[in-house]
Amino acid sequence: MDLAFFIEVLVGGLLAGVMYSLVALGFVLIYKASGVFNFAQGTMVFFAALTYVSLVERGWNAWLALLVTLAVMVALGVATERVVLRPLVNQPQITLFMATIGLTFVLEGLSQLIWGSQPHGLELGIADVPMEWLSQRWNVNVSQFDLFAAFVAGVLVAGLAVFFQKTRIGRALRAVADDHQAALAVGIPLQHIWAIVWAVAGFVALVAGLMWGVRNGVQFALTFVALKALPVLLIGGFESIPGAILGGLIIGATEKLAEVYVGPMVGGGIESWFAYVVALLFLLVRPEGLFGEKHIDRV
Amino acid sequence: MDTFPKLLMRHAQERGARPAIREKDRGIWQTWTWRQLADEVRVLAAGLAAEGLKRGDHFALIGDNRPRIYAAVCAAQCLGGIPVPLYQDAVAAEMGFPIRNAEIAYALAEDQEQVDKLLEIQPQCPSLRRIYFDDPRGLRHYDRPQLMSYEKLLELGRAALGRHPGLVDEEIAKGRGSDTAAMFFTSGTTGVPKGVVLTHHALIDRSRVVAEMERLGEGDVVLAFMPPAWIGQNIFSYAQPMVAGYCICCPESPETVVNDMREIAPTYYFAPPRVFEALLTQVSVRMEDAGVVKRWLYKYFMAVAKRVGTRILEGKKVGYLDRLLYKVGDLVVYGPLRNVLGMSNVRIAYTGGEAIGPDLFSFYRSLGINLKQLYGSTETSVFVCVQPDGQAKADTVGPAVAGVELGFTPERELLIRSPGLFKEYYKNPEATREAKDAQGWFHTGDAGYIDRDGHLRIIDRAKDVGKLADGTLFAPKYLENKLKFFPYVKEAVAFGADRGRVCAFVNIDMDAVSNWAEKRNLAYSGYTDLAQNDAVYELVAGCIAQANADLAHEPELANSQIHRFLILHKELDADDEELTRTRKVRRRFIAEKYGSLVDALYDNRETVHVQAQVRYEDGRTGTFSADLKIRDAKTFAPAAAKSAA
Amino acid sequence: MSDALLEVRNVSLAFGGVRALSEVSFDVRRREVRAIIGPNGAGKSSMLNVLNGVYHPQQGTIRFENLEFRGMDPHRAARLGIARTFQNIALFKGMTVLDNIMTGRNLRMRCNFLQQALWLGPARREELEHRRAVEEIIDFLEIQHVRKTPVGRLPYGLQKRVELGRALAAEPKVLLLDEPMAGMNLEEKQDMCRFVLDVNDQFGTTLVLIEHDMGVVMDISDRVVVLDYGRKIADGSPQEVRNDQKVIDAYLGVTH
Repeated sequence: MDLAFFIEVLVGGLLAGVMYSLVALGFVLIYKASGVFNFAQGTMVFFAALTYVSLVERGWNAWLALLVTLAVMVALGVATERVVLRPLVNQPQITLFMATIGLTFVLEGLSQLIWGSQPHGLELGIADVPMEWLSQRWNVNVSQFDLFAAFVAGVLVAGLAVFFQKTRIGRALRAVADDHQAALAVGIPLQHIWAIVWAVAGFVALVAGLMWGVRNGVQFALTFVALKALPVLLIGGFESIPGAILGGLIIGATEKLAEVYVGPMVGGGIESWFAYVVALLFLLVRPEGLFGEKHIDRV
Repeated sequence: MDTFPKLLMRHAQERGARPAIREKDRGIWQTWTWRQLADEVRVLAAGLAAEGLKRGDHFALIGDNRPRIYAAVCAAQCLGGIPVPLYQDAVAAEMGFPIRNAEIAYALAEDQEQVDKLLEIQPQCPSLRRIYFDDPRGLRHYDRPQLMSYEKLLELGRAALGRHPGLVDEEIAKGRGSDTAAMFFTSGTTGVPKGVVLTHHALIDRSRVVAEMERLGEGDVVLAFMPPAWIGQNIFSYAQPMVAGYCICCPESPETVVNDMREIAPTYYFAPPRVFEALLTQVSVRMEDAGVVKRWLYKYFMAVAKRVGTRILEGKKVGYLDRLLYKVGDLVVYGPLRNVLGMSNVRIAYTGGEAIGPDLFSFYRSLGINLKQLYGSTETSVFVCVQPDGQAKADTVGPAVAGVELGFTPERELLIRSPGLFKEYYKNPEATREAKDAQGWFHTGDAGYIDRDGHLRIIDRAKDVGKLADGTLFAPKYLENKLKFFPYVKEAVAFGADRGRVCAFVNIDMDAVSNWAEKRNLAYSGYTDLAQNDAVYELVAGCIAQANADLAHEPELANSQIHRFLILHKELDADDEELTRTRKVRRRFIAEKYGSLVDALYDNRETVHVQAQVRYEDGRTGTFSADLKIRDAKTFAPAAAKSAA
Repeated sequence: MSDALLEVRNVSLAFGGVRALSEVSFDVRRREVRAIIGPNGAGKSSMLNVLNGVYHPQQGTIRFENLEFRGMDPHRAARLGIARTFQNIALFKGMTVLDNIMTGRNLRMRCNFLQQALWLGPARREELEHRRAVEEIIDFLEIQHVRKTPVGRLPYGLQKRVELGRALAAEPKVLLLDEPMAGMNLEEKQDMCRFVLDVNDQFGTTLVLIEHDMGVVMDISDRVVVLDYGRKIADGSPQEVRNDQKVIDAYLGVTH
């Protein structure tokens, strides 16, 4: 086996995994804080990328467009909490889940209405080409953009970690995630916190949207990246940020390795479903996910 | 530099900015540099002088390891006063004797708890004039005139220094090495406690010899977590740092010691065997709860460590593959484990005070922790024997440290002559004479001998050691301990005094043996049934054979090999007066109670009938009768010949 | 009474047709330890919930410092300086002791979302300053050894202590304790008593505690209110209350 090639595939897989993690992160944030599985996360990713690219295509300065998109996403998050979820407080989780499905369609409709439905290409000024010195020295091809995306994801996660661990609001977020009733009791305003979580999820969606937009183009199919996040969540656990990261890396790496080394034996094309096989295997061994909380229901 | 205050002042000059004491307070490690410590001590001494503390006065210290307690020790010494640390967990009544005996007038108490105790016994201790306290919590409403806060004492000191700046330094200069440095009360197994008087010279000399042997220096770090009233803690966290200039750390509270260990990562460590045992238990419990993979890794690599770890630590030859395996184990198991134990940086770890089980001992050594044994007592300023690097053994305490002379009475009692010997028992010339003879030998009360490698081997208390019929040494407790170190043996009772050979009763360890039996699908209905199982007899016979093989290698004890044994039908129990409450076997009582069984061991019967009253746990009594088997154990020819091989 | 910090006047509370409290009046003086006791179902918890605004009485008023109000909400009560603990511990089980107590300082922290999100200097300084205050409390309650332990792993008695710590972290003027000794063994009860008295003594906090168990309360309270079936049946020093025939009857009337 060619070691350089193996490393190339592995690194490529890991870096792709980081992109999955980015999407999964948005799910985890909302699920952790409010117990809602946000079906609309994929659409939020798409919406963010589309808004940004459309503004840029209309001649806006890139930084300004970024700020405005961020504002839009935060506003969208807050509005979702206000308009969709707050009226449904204390409803069964399935109701909330259905509400987020509804939100998906609203967002899709809204994006077509405002920005139209044609696909766009996205450029962030970092080309999706192999790092030259790596290829020359070691004969390993690693995309420069993948590295950039991994770096961005790393900064994002580190930032979130500091925010969650070291600030009052972060602590309040964890408190709410831990026990709603207890949080109310010490005077932490639940709805305020949920709004913040949705806003942060909007921000994460923007970052994910930009990265994926560059890779795949900004088009409706972008909403399907959410489907890739699902196995990641199954592996990492729905409530764990480190789980989302590690889950993404595992899925990315195994998927790529399987595609290259196992794929030819079964006729290829396994990349699209192999992640689910891995996730299912994981479910058998550790149903709560790598870092998920073990729920033991007393009978 | 013949006194501790002089040493302190030298450190303040030579390494003034280096840390002397750290204390975790409000979650943060606060540092006292040597200069700060010296300044504090000077002010404190001036305060004590203003309060009237004079040369030769005793000063009681009661509290946990706190910088202020150690500062006060030195402050008293500056003035020629004699610090007397008392156990902080003693009840009030126990403090009465030392305070009256030493006519203590001044005491420093750590907190309200200790102040309350002192106030309680104050009516019986008229000498006690002044109680200083460190932590004012809860003491605000106390209005006893004897009480004064530590801060107030410092204020008095500052005022006194203002009037006479050279006050303390002049007193320090008057100090001599032959002055009394401290007094420690030993509980003693019988009778009233005795105040052991130690001079500066004795403590400094012993501290220095071992500091040089182990190359202790200012880079070393110690966590002080045993009671300061214990000589061991005092040596490690006061005398030796004063000599070697290393830093001691005071844990935040007794409950945080494990965490603090991890944060501080000491380089030098000392604890009695029970602390090591408790740590190992913690590790084992955590491993039981760990996941499958972790448990497997732990088991596998601990087996590797057991095989080669100790050899690697001692720099002996080990195969390439084992060395590699050990490296991997170090990465995934030993390293993390050392970290959890807070022993990542430990360069020298000592244990002493009692026998340590060989498994326990080699567990730590196989992890790569340089655990060694030492021997000593309060009367000897601790250091009598220390195992040098690479010569650590579970069953000896090492060769004599430089300056120490060892001797034995005809009865095998260990005698010691050392510069570290105590001056006297305070106000107890009779006890002093008994312990220290005219030639300056200290009679330890321990029986032992020097083995072929020149290491001291302690076998028992001298009064418990007897002779076999042929006049050779018989040390029942030593034999029993040897058996008890096998996990399958819970208790053992050895007989042989004035008899031709040694025989023993054994209690199996129900947990370990039932586990063993289950793995072999042995059916049994209870303790007695399991104990009389032939396979279990085989198992125990194997343990005894192994012990005998060891004994055969020790010329002094080769005749003490166990020839015959039986497994008792019941577990020895403190409720039946067969054990003391601290779980020591009451050999004489057992010999009487089970006289017929002992006789059976010495004639050549194969079984012995036993009939006994048993008390069940619910309080009912019943009669029990059974035939107990008696087995011969394999014995070995003394290994004098073997040693040539 | 001018030195009253908290005054309850003629408070009545009903749920549907069920009267929980009937015209209850009493006051709490600054720095005192005030107990509300009574048999099961006497209305103790309802009273506490009125005091911190969970329930709104149909009748009567509450005066805190110089503010008079009928109903308020828990959030506002917290802002005014009324903190409480709960009979069934309401802690964040997955968070560390330190973080739990830090949440108690939530209302005292001023930095806004943006400053915190960007981890700016003021937010960092604020965090440190509050951490120091929390460390004082940890030291005070002697829970240093579990500082970084998730609360859910602690034994019950320690959890109670942590909850007290979280309430203290808000530096309240009045601290309401809802059956602080419930479910504890004797040693834990003694510890808790000591901490309650120390809180009162050291921080000068006014304490209102409700207890089912008469014995403990009598030793640590300055004055005691006794409720039975929603009515006040006695009010006075522990000694007076203990000898009050109505109180004796009320307690004998129920089985323990």
